[in-house]
Amino acid sequence: MIETGIPKLDGYLHGGVPEGRSLVYYTYPGVAGDVFGMQTICHATSNGILGVYVASSTDPQMIRDQFSEFGWATEDYNGRFIVVDAFSGLIGADSQERYVVSDPEDVNSLTQCIKKVMEEMSEPGIIVFESLSTIMDLCGESETLDALEEWSQYAMLYDHALVYNFTAWPYSEETLLHVKENVCNSVISVGGITGDVIFGQYFGVLKVDWTDIARKSTLFKVLKPGGIRAYIPKILVTGPFDAGKSTFVHALSNRAISVDRLGTTIALDHGHVDRKGFAADIFGTPGQERFDPIVKLLSGEAMGIFLLLDSTNTTDFKRGKRMLEITESFGLPVVIVANKQDMSEALTPEEIRRELDMPANVQIMPAVAATGEGVFEAFETLVDMVMEVD
Amino acid sequence: MAYNLGIPKLDDLIGDIRGGTNIMMIGPPMSGKEDLINIIAYRGLVDRDAAVIVSTREPGNNVLEWFERRNLNISMDRIGIVDCVTRTLGFAAPDTENIKMASSPVDLTGIGVKISQFFEHFWMEMQLRETRLCINSLSTILMYSNLQTVFRFLHVFTGRIKAANALGVYVIEEGMHDAQTIVTLKQLFDGMIEIREGDDGYQIRVVGLTPKPTPWFDYEVNGVDVVLRG
Repeated sequence: MIETGIPKLDGYLHGGVPEGRSLVYYTYPGVAGDVFGMQTICHATSNGILGVYVASSTDPQMIRDQFSEFGWATEDYNGRFIVVDAFSGLIGADSQERYVVSDPEDVNSLTQCIKKVMEEMSEPGIIVFESLSTIMDLCGESETLDALEEWSQYAMLYDHALVYNFTAWPYSEETLLHVKENVCNSVISVGGITGDVIFGQYFGVLKVDWTDIARKSTLFKVLKPGGIRAYIPKILVTGPFDAGKSTFVHALSNRAISVDRLGTTIALDHGHVDRKGFAADIFGTPGQERFDPIVKLLSGEAMGIFLLLDSTNTTDFKRGKRMLEITESFGLPVVIVANKQDMSEALTPEEIRRELDMPANVQIMPAVAATGEGVFEAFETLVDMVMEVD
Repeated sequence: MAYNLGIPKLDDLIGDIRGGTNIMMIGPPMSGKEDLINIIAYRGLVDRDAAVIVSTREPGNNVLEWFERRNLNISMDRIGIVDCVTRTLGFAAPDTENIKMASSPVDLTGIGVKISQFFEHFWMEMQLRETRLCINSLSTILMYSNLQTVFRFLHVFTGRIKAANALGVYVIEEGMHDAQTIVTLKQLFDGMIEIREGDDGYQIRVVGLTPKPTPWFDYEVNGVDVVLRG
């Protein structure tokens, strides 16, 4: 198995792409799907797998620069990152690459070069195509689709995995259907949530023939540096006054800001978290009752909730439960954070569960927001819960 | 939502341009189309619109300088430039707040992603509801990709302009393409700004946005003003 390195996707694919199989990132126009192929090859090569990148719309040196913008230094891969230059020929430029497609507008020329690379790769590896749609545009739709079959057979022979970035421009229905259904062993749909503009991006598995399909969609964001991050646009942090919500938001976030007065949040805390392939925007509410209308306002469209409790202050637990009601969080993933566990009089999570009369399946996690202890564990638990929701 | 071009006499004749309109600007080389398209973008900035300019002819910095040189009292954070040139010249320029780099004019996927990113930024983060997309020029894109490919690209993005109630203006060099190419592309547009050579310089008119074409006017570009005569 060759992992894709895309958060959540390897789980959906039961480990990644098997050797000799193929995968296409089927991307809707305007959505940043090309980064999927880039991240896949960099993840593979950084794990010691031989990677070949077929450049069809970018100068090879620029490609290396683009990779480094994401924090992937291709020169560190000890020669395991090879570029097939199917671009320079198009603009009449010279190429410094070992593998050059003499006529990028002729699919036979491309096939010849790709076969040569596959033969000369010293071990099974991964071949990622920068843009299958560009190849199709240059060489013709049917010609390219025919060639894909040939490449797949050759890849199977040498146990190489093939990965394509494909932009679903309005080609003929037949072509699009062919790409979706017949060309590859797996199809990953990379789409946009559209209204007046594209305001969110997601991916999901459309087809996979080596395991069961996980019918889930994952929102994502592209970070520079960083690449694809599974993204949660809104996680709410709520809880009674002085439970440590702002401290929690700041401890968790790579960057955060609070609107407060005399040390008390009066409007909101906002933080952005980027951790282990996941990104999220965190919104902290005020805790005082007079700000309850703001709590309700802030909770709209939240995908998960942290309820912060001061483990030493049982009198506020009822208020905590009330705040959960105000957020109208019924059915949403909730993690209760038992904060201030470093205090001698702090109740344990199980004691808090009894006080709150919460069922066993509700996650109550110990933390000390002031030192950061337990904060990321709570985050990872909530992210898992949010991502598991169909 | 309604737009105007920022060319006084023409604006009076055609009235408000409704949101979602796509316009082809076609004229001979050296006729000042670049100034005109920048002026259309500038007019939007004056009206507190946003402007996304796709530059396939000049590096993004040059386009930005066009606005800076004129000391215009406009907010530069509402200009987004998709630069398809700098990286083809071999410069490893990173994206900036105003300029996003596409790999090359071949990279229609990348160009499309950058346009979408600017639209999302202006719409979601800056809450700007009126945006102008100016592509200068389709002719360069057509040099690298075939007509069918460019048609597909435009089919998607003229549709996005309609969905976003934006205004799209697309420059084409007259004389560079055969009649079939122009006729094919025309299908995607609601109107045209036509430029031709006259006895005393260049002339301009608008076709398709009013029941009858406007008359031809001699014109002259003076800073950010387009002065029409006749």
